[in-house]
This record gives sequence, C-alpha cells and structure tokens, in this order.
Amino acid sequence: MKKKELTKGKEYWRSLDQLAETPEYKQFLEREFPEGASDCDNAWSRRKFITLMGASLAMAGLAGCRRPVEKIVPYVERPEEVVPGIPQHYATSMPFGDSAYGVLVESHEGRPTKMEGNKLHPSTGGASSAFIQAQILGLYDPDRSKTVLKNGKPKTWNDFVLTWIGLHEKFKKNGGEGLAVLGGAFSSPTTSRLRSVFQKTFPKAKWITHEPVSDRNIYDGLKVAYGQAVRPQYAFDKADVILSLDSDFLLLESDSVVNARRFANGRNVESEQDKMNRLYVVECGYSTTGANADHRQAVKSHEVGAFALSLAHELKNLGVNIPGVESQLVPQKKFKWVKEVARDLKRAGGRSIVVAGRRQPAAVHALVAALNEGLGNAGKTVLYTKPVDTTFSDRNGLKTLANDIKGGIVSTLVMIDSNPLYDAPADLEFATTLSKVSTTIQLSNYVDETSTSVTWHIPQAHFLESWGDARSYDGTVGIIQPLIQPLFDSVSDVEMVGLLAEGKFTKGYDAVRKTWEVILRGGNFETKWRRVLHDGLLSDSASELVSARLRGTAVANYLSDNSLVKNNQAGSLEIVFAASPAVYDGRFAGNGWLQELPHPVTKLTWDNAALLSQSTAKQINVKNNDIVKLDYRGRNLELPVWIQPGQAENCVIVELGYGRHGVSKISDAVGANAFGLKDSAAGDFDSGLVLTKTGRTHKLACTQNHWSMEDRPIVREATLEEYHEHPNFAKEAVKHPPLESMFNEPSYAEGYQWGMTVDLNSCVGCNACMVACNSENNIPVVGREQVIEGREMHWIRLDRYYTGNVEDPETVHQPVLCQHCENAPCEQVCPVGATVHDAEGLNTMVYNRCIGTRYCSNNCPYKVRRFNFFNYTSDYDELAKMAQNPDVTVRFRGVMEKCTYCVQRISSAKITAKKERRDVRDGEIIPACQQACPADALTFGNINDPGSEVSKRKKHSRNYDLLGELNVKPRTSYLAKLRNPNPEIKKA
Amino acid sequence: MAQIFPKWTNYLGHIAVGFVALKLIGITAFFWYFGSPEYLDVGYRPIQPVEYNHKVHAGDLGIDCRYCHTSVEYSARANVPPLATCMNCHKLVKPDTEKMQLVSASWKGRDAIRWIRVNDLPGYAYFDHSIHVSAGVSCIECHGNVAEMDIVRQAKPLSMGFCLDCHRNPELFLRPVDQVTNMKWVAPPNQQEMGQLLRSERNINPPQDCSGCHR
Repeated sequence: MKKKELTKGKEYWRSLDQLAETPEYKQFLEREFPEGASDCDNAWSRRKFITLMGASLAMAGLAGCRRPVEKIVPYVERPEEVVPGIPQHYATSMPFGDSAYGVLVESHEGRPTKMEGNKLHPSTGGASSAFIQAQILGLYDPDRSKTVLKNGKPKTWNDFVLTWIGLHEKFKKNGGEGLAVLGGAFSSPTTSRLRSVFQKTFPKAKWITHEPVSDRNIYDGLKVAYGQAVRPQYAFDKADVILSLDSDFLLLESDSVVNARRFANGRNVESEQDKMNRLYVVECGYSTTGANADHRQAVKSHEVGAFALSLAHELKNLGVNIPGVESQLVPQKKFKWVKEVARDLKRAGGRSIVVAGRRQPAAVHALVAALNEGLGNAGKTVLYTKPVDTTFSDRNGLKTLANDIKGGIVSTLVMIDSNPLYDAPADLEFATTLSKVSTTIQLSNYVDETSTSVTWHIPQAHFLESWGDARSYDGTVGIIQPLIQPLFDSVSDVEMVGLLAEGKFTKGYDAVRKTWEVILRGGNFETKWRRVLHDGLLSDSASELVSARLRGTAVANYLSDNSLVKNNQAGSLEIVFAASPAVYDGRFAGNGWLQELPHPVTKLTWDNAALLSQSTAKQINVKNNDIVKLDYRGRNLELPVWIQPGQAENCVIVELGYGRHGVSKISDAVGANAFGLKDSAAGDFDSGLVLTKTGRTHKLACTQNHWSMEDRPIVREATLEEYHEHPNFAKEAVKHPPLESMFNEPSYAEGYQWGMTVDLNSCVGCNACMVACNSENNIPVVGREQVIEGREMHWIRLDRYYTGNVEDPETVHQPVLCQHCENAPCEQVCPVGATVHDAEGLNTMVYNRCIGTRYCSNNCPYKVRRFNFFNYTSDYDELAKMAQNPDVTVRFRGVMEKCTYCVQRISSAKITAKKERRDVRDGEIIPACQQACPADALTFGNINDPGSEVSKRKKHSRNYDLLGELNVKPRTSYLAKLRNPNPEIKKA
Repeated sequence: MAQIFPKWTNYLGHIAVGFVALKLIGITAFFWYFGSPEYLDVGYRPIQPVEYNHKVHAGDLGIDCRYCHTSVEYSARANVPPLATCMNCHKLVKPDTEKMQLVSASWKGRDAIRWIRVNDLPGYAYFDHSIHVSAGVSCIECHGNVAEMDIVRQAKPLSMGFCLDCHRNPELFLRPVDQVTNMKWVAPPNQQEMGQLLRSERNINPPQDCSGCHR
C-alpha cells in the first residue's frame, strides 16, 4: 500500500505492523470483519448451534402465543422525593487513596446507574475520569465479598463484634501491645477522628499505612525542601511553559481530572491571536501526558534526575538562582534541548511549572521544588497546601511490620482495605509472615488473595452504599452518602475503624454526624448539615496555603547525600513498575469496563505486557506477543512483549494490578502480577533486570489496528506558528472536486438540528468519554477473545496515531464516534430501512428492523458501527444488570448498534422544554461523553441556532469535516490540533 | 397421435399458481390480523389480586384519575398508587370487608400488592405520559373509558400503527388540557378546527421519526 501525502507532509501510523505493512495488518484493514469473526466456533459447533436454535425456535413458537405476565409492585408508602420515572441525583464523594473526587450519582427508583462529576466540587467541576465512571459496575459486581467469614466459614457481623469486644478489653488493659493495623491511605475526617481515638485507647498499638502506588516520594521531597508536610497544587492553566519529569499528571498522578481541565484551558485557542502553553516531557515510557507534549524525549527513569540537575545548572548559567543547587556533580550525559528548556523557563518569568512524577525518588522532588522556587513559580503556578485528616503511605511501614511479625511482636493484625498477599513487595514474603500472627482480621471488598489466609474476613461496603466523608486533593471536605442499602452483609471503613477504636458498633451515619458536628460548629447544625448533604461538600473548605520558605541548605545537603547522578550501568536493563490506566494498582481489576478499555497509548486491553522499545526488542530478538522471562533480584515473571514506539532504550515497563488470583471472574487469569517482582528496598524502578526469550507466545488483545480508516487525512494538525500564517490549514488540507450528490438531499433548515464538535487540541486522550458512554448506553463487555477478533463494542473510540520515526514519534489522539452524516452511506445500503435519518439530523438505528446484514458497517467510512455477534448482555449476572440505564434499549444478538448522540437525553430535554412551553436551551442537552470530558473537548448542540456554542465552534477556522471530501456531510466535525514547539529546537 | 391429456389440463398450471398465491395471501392475511395486537391484546383483562373496581371509584364516585395516578402530569410513568393512597379513605371506609382483606393485610404487613400489568408497551418503546397529558391527549385515547370498566381491560391495540394514527393527525384527538381526565367529555362537532387551533397554539408537532419513541 502506498501512503499518500498528508497534512504538512506528515505521515500517520497506528502500529508498527502498519509501518512494516505486515500481512496481518493488511488483512485486518481490508476485511470488514477479520477472518472467522462471523463464525461461531468457540466450544460451539455450527451443527450444535443450529440444533439448539431449531429446538428453541419450536419452543418459542408456542411460548410466543402467550402474553408474558408482568407485575407492577407499587410502594406501600412512597418516599416523598421518589417519583417513578424521574431519576434522582445525589452528591457524594468517591474516595481514592489519600484523596477523593466529588461526584453526582443518578439513581432510578433507588438504583444508582450513572456517575458524573459534581459541578460544585473543585475536584471534578462536573467532569470525571474513567475510574469514576466505572464505579457503578464495581458496585454491582456479583463477585464482591458477600458474607463475614471465620477461617473460611460463614459467620455474621455480630459474631465478629462479640469477638472484637473481647479483644478490645484485652488490648485496652495492655495498651495495645501486640496489636497492629495495616490500612490503605485515606483522607476522611471521621476515620481520622476514630483513628486518634484508637491511638489514644491503644497507645502501644501500631498503625501502618500502605498504598502500593502513592505520592510518598513527593511528600518526602517536599518535606526536605520546606521542613513540613505539604502538598503541591499546580495551576496548569496559568503556566506558559510546563516541564514534566516522568509525570503523567494528565492521567495517573493525583488530581488528574483537575490537571487535565487546567492544562486544556491553557491550550484553548479560540482565535488566531490566542496563545497556548508549551509542554515538555522527559519520561521513560510513553504516557498520556507524553502524547500531549510539544517536545518529548525518552530517557531511562534513572536519568530523569540527572536531566533535572543538568537543567538546574543551565538555569544557574543563565543567572537564575536555584536554591540548594551548588556544587553537585554535573551529569556527564548531555541531554537534548536542556539549554532551550532552560531559556524557555526563564523567559516565562514565574509563569511556568516543573513537575515530577511519583515514581521519581524524593531527591528529584526536592530539586523540583527548588527549581520552582528559583523560577518564581512557587506561590504563583505552584502552590503548597497543608493536608489535613489525611494519612499517607508509610515509606518503610510494610517492612517494619513484617519484621515485627517475624520478631513475634504482633499477635493481632487488622487489615483495612489492604491486600498484602497480593501487593506487598515480594521480598517480604508476606504469605509466610502472615501465618505467624495468631489473629488476623481483614476488611475488603473481595474475597481476595489475603482473605483465604486470615482468621476473620469482613466484607467492605462500597462507597455508594455507606456513610462517610472524604477530603479531595485540595482539601475540600465532602460527604459520602449512600445511594442504596448495602447489597451484601458488609460494613464501611468508618464503621470498622469505629468498632476497632471504641469497642462498640456505631452506625456510619452517627459516626459521621458526630465528626461534622465539630466541622460545622457555630450556627444551626441541621441547616448546615442539610446543605452539605445537598451540595455533597462544604464549600470553601480547601486546605490553607502554606507560605513557607524553601530551605536551600537542606536541599543542598539532601542532594549531596542522595546523588541524582547514577552510575551509568551500561547494558543493564531497567525495570519500571507503573500503575495501570485500567486497573490502577489492581483495585479495579474486577471491573469489565476498565479491563476492556484500551490503554490510552499502547491500546492494549485485558492484559499487561513487558513494554520495550524497538531497539531493545531487537537486541534480544523478540517481537510482539513473544513471552519473555523477566529475572530480577532472584525472582522471575513471564510476560508477553509489547513494543512501544518512543520508549526509552534498555528499559522494560510492567504495569501493576494484573494477575489476580481467585478474586473474581473478570480479574482472574488476566495478565501477570508484577508485585511478585517488586522489592521493598528498591523503588518503583531499578536496574539489574535480565530478559530471556521463552519461545512461547501469548496473543495480546490490542485494538490499535481496529476500525482503521486507511491512509486518509484523518488527523489534521499544525504548529501554532503555521496556524497564525494559515488559519484555514485544516480545511485546505484536502483538495477535492465540487461536492455534488446524486441523492435528493433534504434541507434540514427547520427546527433543531443536532451537531457536535470535537476539539483535538483539547482532547488529552484520557478515555473518560469511553467509559461514560459504556455506562450511559448499556454497552456490553465482550471479553478478551472477542476483542482479539475485533468485536469490541465501544460506540466512541479513541484513535491513537503516531507520526515521525519509530524511536521518537509524536502522538495524536482522536475520539471517533458516529458522525451522523446527512448523506449517510450506511442508510443507502440497508436493505430493510433499519438505519434512517430523522428530521433533526440524527442518523437513527432501529434495532427491531435490523436483520444483521452488516452492509451498513461495510459502507461506513468512519467504522463506527458495532455488531452484536452474541447475546452479550443476556449472559450478565442479574446483579450486574442493575447497572444498566433504563432509558436505553438493551440490544440483542444479530443487530447493529452505534452512537445515537445520546438520543434519550435529547428526548428528555425536548419533553421538558415542551412541557414548559419553550425551546430547548443551548447546553441543556449534554451527551454522556461531553459531560465526562475534563478537557471540554466535545460540544453538542443545535447547529441551526447561530448563537449556540456548537455553531460558534463550527465557524472556527480550525474546523474541518472528517472525510468531508466524500460529501457525506457529517454533523460531527473536528477542530484541528495545534502544537506549540519551541522554535529554537530543531527536530531531529 | 392421440393426446394423452385433455386440453383443459393446460390450465392446471395456472390454477396451481393461483391457488398457491391465494394460499400465501391467506396465510399473510391470517397472521396480519390474528397476530396483530388489535386481535391479540385488545380485551386483555387479567384477574387482579385485589378486586379493585375503576367503575365505582372513577365512575360512580367521580374521583379524578390524578388522585391516584399522581405522577402522570410530570413523569414519563403514570404510577400505580402506593397502598397509602388507598388507605387515605379505606382506613375508615369498609376497612374489614372481604374485598379489602388483602389490602388491609398488605398495609399491616407493609408488603406491596403485586398488580398485573394490563396496558403493556414493549421495552424498546419509550412512552412519556407527561408530554401527552400536557399536550391535551386524554387518558381515554389509549386506555378507553376506564370509568365504565368493572375490571380494567386493554381497550386499544397500543401498536405502533395505533400511535402513528394520532401522531400523524393529532388535531383529531386533542382537547383542552383541563379536560384530559374528564371521562364524560364529548368531542365537539368542530373537533378538526378546534384541534387545529389547539395544535398551533401549543406548537404540537408529534414526532413521526423512529427516534421519537425508540432509543
């Protein structure tokens, strides 16, 4: 296949297979559905299928004559606020490690069905993330722990309460000697209060906090710099120049929703005169943040510190005083564009940000604090707050605990939201360690790896079914209120800690109220409390800013004790442990939506892999899907290889959170557990890895080649400079003959005409829209094998294109959903009129008419139609079906489906407007994807109304129609992407 | 050579074709009618767990529909009333009669009564009561005159054709909004003009696109 010349001569490619033009890639491209996709061959022979179908048809013929009897079960007494058919919304908070997100949850007659961000809450501002969106499915996971277990046998919560009262008496007498608690990080005022009661009651007891993925390094580094525990808050919207040192602040670092929003604000280009920020990324792997960079360079994780030090020296050479940077060794290695970044940062004059990732050691963070101080960013774009009611992961807590247990000091260990047998570093050998404790108690939401080895296992309530409270990253305190009674015999963290501390069971509601009586003191409590329950938060309760001076000498001493310039271990491979954008640290491994969500950059689903650069793969002669053995510190792990363009050489990245065992149907046997390689002495990256090829293969379910639109000019981008010169570059990118149609074209000049714009310059590629769409539109999870066949059902997908050379490509993300073409090619080929246009310009899909010819999908230039090869949803557990949106039809086997622009939301808004005798207001209809988007990349509305936001965006000079040259007249259009490269840096 | 088949056998083929065609038409017509909601569903009259009589309540006593079906004006669903609504009166009115036994027992046991759905739309059709009521479509149009039914039965086919009859010509079915629940209202002779007027006054344009009802 010959590649055409694209915009500005750039070539875009989706995968290494495409670059190499392998037969597999060609086959995937040319066949509408991959070979075998239409066959039904797993465990079901065609003959068996037809036999059974015949039999069930005969039965259906008889049963069909009888009308199914449906029952109506009204309330005995209807709760005042519940009206059947009108969903309710409650504001609550989603706790997430040592922070939380403010959310708004939709509930249909007491059944929560959809998560949204809470507009009033600064942590989300109405937007959300893939993690937030997926929590609904987590609530209804049928594999959640259901009963209290004692040594594996069912017991009741009361049995445990009685046991604990006995233990409480015993430990009260000896001051808690032999008692230890291992908990996850939290940011809850009530839990904090109860924890201090616990510590007062049992002064000799130990409380260890452990999070497998945490900001520990950041806090430690800042503590060195400022002498106190502070938390950085970044105003990315106010920065002109941003340097990320191995920080994926747009997706996986703390407070990512806010970060993405602010970053996109700083890049928002409304007119040709607007400016935008410039992002430099120095990182090891290819992160979502790296994909948004204007300049990105791949260095090993070890060298990031050296880069920061080189930068500090360059800045000093430019006359910028960086406190603490004095006589440290100047790194020998010469990095690309250090000088240029230094000049750019200096020019920004306090309007820049240097941010380092949580994997980097504390010394890097101390140095970064000094850089921000020296550049004048501290107090302007980088603010520090004092965290309250928050526990952080202890650096050596788990190791100390293991030693204590081995020393026989611990007789009773309580684990709250903690699963050390899965996620403790392997060298601590927690499985044997734990057996030395006589009584072990665990509160967890699954019967997990640890649960089978504990004395007492207590099911943990989901946050949507319990009372609590939580502070978000900026310290704003929010309430956690239940949307539903606990589905199982479970208790919340607050109730568990309350029982531990007080020796008696207090209901979560009472415990939370008691805390809030102090928080809301002064004035009428009941009024304020009701306000908090309504808003979901206490407004203006963010943590106070800390105005401390940076301690230059402390930083200098720390930097000389912890050298950032590592010995160059040539040839030695580096191993990096990274949190997964799908399952994080394993806590979301049971969530089908997240497991099936393609990784923002690799596009892998349902697996973790050993990510390598192409040259590293060549060295050991492996290709994609080859299983390699990772030997590290005497332990080994087998993982399939995935070659990641743009990754640093001699470095292997493995994602945490996979390889669960005996936990749930979804999570088991997916990937391998990278915690099994981790070492407590080393950090999140280390050298000394040895890779060997095993000769076996494992097919990874990667979606990067799926739904390809071939080599057409799909993505259009330019630099800011080019844009200033040629504002209409996107429209001019394609020359085509005059567009004339052979069909009669309706005018669509009357009434509402729906349309959408997607701003590629705002989209950061975070995947929130995909999960939001899953949740809103009852999109089924199909499983790993089906994804390999190319049958994933996502209505909106995020295409990721690389451009440039294999070792250092740039990346563009492009959300693609049904374009709702006015001259829709799908409609012209449907033999049964199952896909037709409505008067408002929607390309509608009539499931009942569809007979499954799939001609429409064949003829769709955008590849946005999805076919139900199986009856995916009917196989769901009854409990999981509760997560479904009652306003959207659940599709059956054999029918096509696709994005509807959330027609249920359109209908509902139109009905409301009609009843109020007015027109639908602009912004009243927000599709699920737009609502979830933290970057405001999507805009939906009436294109017939010149004043609507979408009309304004469509008039923008960057606006272009995807494949507009086909004269399909898509209603969805795109605003071209801009990059803002530093003119001083020449492209290699 | 003598002909083996007489001449009339030439027409056998035509007759056979005609017969097959007739049969096909007959089968189609059979299922067209006997398989239709109009034949299958109209008149469906299940025996409810409680012998509730709409004729007594809505007809003889003249209780407005909305006394029980409270959400009909503002929700997609016209709710079946909670037991508490029944007990508003029946705490005092005939609380111990035989017919009231299940109701009283359910009230005391706080257990809901399981009614059998009569007017049932398929799950993929999204009907919104409130918008129809606010447009001036009477309950009678779809439910028949419930005030005259001892036992509620399905009065109309509720098929897609039935819906579209009205969506295409709404003026034939509209009435003033305050008369929506009036079971005794009689359409004026000039219904067409009045309907037209109501339609333009309230800007009523019922959707005829699939997306109007199917999502």
